[in-house]
Amino acid sequence: MDALLESLARSLPEVIVCLGLLLVVVLDAAGGSARRAIPSLSILTLLLALGAAFRDGGAPVATWSGMLAADPLSTLLRSLVLLGALLVLLAFDLGRSRELKGLGLGEFHALVLAVTFACLLLAGANDLVMVYLALEMVSIPSYVLVAYLKRDPRSNEAALKYLLFGAASSGAMLYGLSFVYGLAGTTSIPGVSAALAGGLPAASTFGLWLSALLVFAGFGFKVAAVPFHFWCPDAYEGAPTPVAAFLSVVPKTAGFAVMLRFCYEALSLQRGGPLALVEIVDWPQVLMWISVATMTLGNVAALTQTNMKRLLAYSSIAHAGYVMMGVVAMSEDGGRGVLVYLFTYVLMNLGAFGVVAAIHGADGTFDLRDYAGLHRRQPLLALAMAVFLLSLMGLPPFVGFFGKFYVFAAVIAHGPEYYWYAAVGAVNAAVAAYYYFRVMRAMVVDVEAAETPAMAVGGREALALAALAAFNLLPTLAWGRVDEWTRAAMVLLPR
Amino acid sequence: MNLEPGLAHYLVVSAALFALGLLGLITRRNAVQALMGVELMLNSANINLVAFNRFGTGGIDGQVFGTFVIVVAAAEVAVALALVLTLYRARRTPNLDAATSLRG
Repeated sequence: MDALLESLARSLPEVIVCLGLLLVVVLDAAGGSARRAIPSLSILTLLLALGAAFRDGGAPVATWSGMLAADPLSTLLRSLVLLGALLVLLAFDLGRSRELKGLGLGEFHALVLAVTFACLLLAGANDLVMVYLALEMVSIPSYVLVAYLKRDPRSNEAALKYLLFGAASSGAMLYGLSFVYGLAGTTSIPGVSAALAGGLPAASTFGLWLSALLVFAGFGFKVAAVPFHFWCPDAYEGAPTPVAAFLSVVPKTAGFAVMLRFCYEALSLQRGGPLALVEIVDWPQVLMWISVATMTLGNVAALTQTNMKRLLAYSSIAHAGYVMMGVVAMSEDGGRGVLVYLFTYVLMNLGAFGVVAAIHGADGTFDLRDYAGLHRRQPLLALAMAVFLLSLMGLPPFVGFFGKFYVFAAVIAHGPEYYWYAAVGAVNAAVAAYYYFRVMRAMVVDVEAAETPAMAVGGREALALAALAAFNLLPTLAWGRVDEWTRAAMVLLPR
Repeated sequence: MNLEPGLAHYLVVSAALFALGLLGLITRRNAVQALMGVELMLNSANINLVAFNRFGTGGIDGQVFGTFVIVVAAAEVAVALALVLTLYRARRTPNLDAATSLRG
């Protein structure tokens, strides 16, 4: 009983989101004026949950009979997930969206809360059963969100592609997990590490390597890593813009959370000191090649895109490649790099999607060519977009710089054998700068004065974008606190 | 001659099912048939889980895992069939080849 109560207390953010979700469903079913309360209710829910996640500071324990881990790492990751979801609901004026016109918003909020709830579970998953369940709980409502524009065949097509890729990769992951369970004899992640530490018969080592590869298929799908990225540009283009923004930050954060925990806790041995590889399964090598392919393909494909949603989709694929550098470094610094990168990525990517949604709200276009003259039509919007793009590029003093700095530093600290890997990352960052600058150039291209009516942007969107732009600069002034925050989270405790 | 099936037999069956499922998912043009491939993949993992449980160290971890997989598969296919139905309404065909408006 005590264990149950403690589990409940440590899972307060999940409990709050779950209750909020149920309440939203009930209000939506009640109809009438009750529905008008839904947007404020879901924002309130996420705010309360974020507060609860920040306050959680107890000793690291495994809750719910070992299903979830309540430790500093999961606390920080849960805060990031909730921050991302909250910013999506605040920054996008769903009621005024051109795409969502005429579609009920009650289900939309319910689905967003459902995905957020599942992401919270994924961020703390400490058992293979929980990893699979939470991953599917993230995926299934996401398919529905992508298909939300039910009268638009493109939205349906995007969701169908997303679903088929998702089903294939989660099926492969499950097959891999079943072998991990068979080889380790337990489904608990710390248990897997302990069992592998005892050594395996030589005949099983290839099986373990293969099943780790299959498990990475599931993680790779969630974070849109090559070669499991094909769904990403199509899903972002077909989905409503707020959904694309949501998918690009919240499930991705959760996907990296589970990747980090699986790699660092199940496939690594921790004997109090630095991480050591489980013999045989050289996963950093595998992940490194995936990471190199992901950032290169993402950046090269983004060069020629003219649809802003597709461009941001390929840019988000490339960013997944950089984040993976932190995982590959296999150290506390690498893990911190992942956390810092995810934190900054939430701020800059949501901002960029916010500008895209604002322009679509005013002009109904996603085409980069229609961005011409933006600096005259709405100078502040162009300025905000420039801030987000420079941040995505990784230039100081914007926060994006810190994310890149931490992961590159972690990779270089690993030793000379990774110098070329850091160099590949640096070349990629330079290539990425080209297409981000291309967007900026498109915005400041002059057009005839007759073609430049002032662009109307809603008050709430303007406020949210201004706040996000400020968030891309302000943490720089107090970076010490962010640094401390991630340092406390990434202490890997021997269990 | 010993006809009692051992762990290896189950693993061979599940590997065959997994391969067939993946092949079906990749090659079938009909969306419903592709989804049947997904079901085969999930069930191959279920056979593994239950077999490892039966021949392993005991406990019921594998069986519980398998039960959850069945539940998730049902939820997934419910959403999938709804999407296929929408595809059919929009394009009058359940063929995946018809859905090609997003490219690049």
